Amino acid sequence: MYYKFSGFTQRLVGAWASDAYSPQLRGLKPVVSTKTPPIIFATPTKLTFDSVYDYAGKNKVPELQKFFQKSDGVPVHLKRGLPDQMLYWTTMALTVGGTIYCLIGLYMASQPKNK
Amino acid sequence: MTHQTHPYHMVNPSPWPLTGAFSALLMTSGLAMWFHFNSTILLSLGMLTNLLTMYQWWRDIVREGTFQGHHTFTVQKGLRYGMILFIISEIFFFAGFFWAFYHSSLAPTPELGGCWPPTGIIPLNPLEVPLLNTAVLLASGVTITWAHHSLMEGDRMSMLQSLLITIMLGIYFTLLQASEYLETPFTISDGVYGSTFFMATGFHGLHVIIGSTFLTICFFRQLNFHFTSSHHFGFEAAAWYWHFVDVVWLFLYVSIYWWGS
Repeated sequence: MYYKFSGFTQRLVGAWASDAYSPQLRGLKPVVSTKTPPIIFATPTKLTFDSVYDYAGKNKVPELQKFFQKSDGVPVHLKRGLPDQMLYWTTMALTVGGTIYCLIGLYMASQPKNK
Repeated sequence: MTHQTHPYHMVNPSPWPLTGAFSALLMTSGLAMWFHFNSTILLSLGMLTNLLTMYQWWRDIVREGTFQGHHTFTVQKGLRYGMILFIISEIFFFAGFFWAFYHSSLAPTPELGGCWPPTGIIPLNPLEVPLLNTAVLLASGVTITWAHHSLMEGDRMSMLQSLLITIMLGIYFTLLQASEYLETPFTISDGVYGSTFFMATGFHGLHVIIGSTFLTICFFRQLNFHFTSSHHFGFEAAAWYWHFVDVVWLFLYVSIYWWGS
């Protein structure tokens, strides 16, 4: 048996270990619509989508949770592999290169102008 | 099995604080290069690396919280303290500009004509666009509260709609202020009136843009099912920031636009 403090009132309540590992899943409300589907009459009627499940794509969060929780030792900023590495190297190159350019520029700007 | 036995988040080593610090160096020295040597390359490089750092740093936080589950209640408490302290520091930032305004306007010097507004300055009518701007921001405060309640009740559609309206009101405010800036008969170089007016309202406008951007990111996160009805601190932080921006505007309106006209 595990314990946690409940949401607003902070009372000690029972909990599952999964609450500590994935607190995001705790408050997830079911997204599938429980309303009865509209009756199709003899004359064609436009079916309306009551369920928000299909709106703007599926919920990819559970798959992403499994993906990012793979224990492969890769730090979070490189976890996606190639696109992360490319962005990281671009940022580093621009930053370090820019800093060197900056130091050279500051050195030159600090030279006295020869009259 | 190596499981942590505490509720804190031991972050993976990250390069973004370093790139952020260097980007700050590039931005500041870039400003100096622009002012004195008419060269914008360092400033552009600084702003680009700053944007890259912000994108990747906050992307990693979303990964750590939403996908890896590191944002336990204790961690969330720390994030709340952090956001509150940041907003308090911003309050002090604006306090400086309000101090400058009141210092000059409460005891106007003879050079200004001994009056406020100074001689020759035609202030904007506070009952025209500035009043509309006030209504726009107050309405956006209502719609963002609507969005929050929708989110807590699991009403996905209403949350998306009300958040979108909030963002549109923010953009409307920005466009109205921009058109006002083009219409003012005075400029930033018109004495202390111009300086205090444009510094205070200018930084406020920048904060509206930042707040609108934060809300837009929340919009896309909500579209992608990142928020749950009981865990959505990113949205709450954006809402706190937005209310802060609204309150600063109210002080600006009452002090500079209304009392100062």
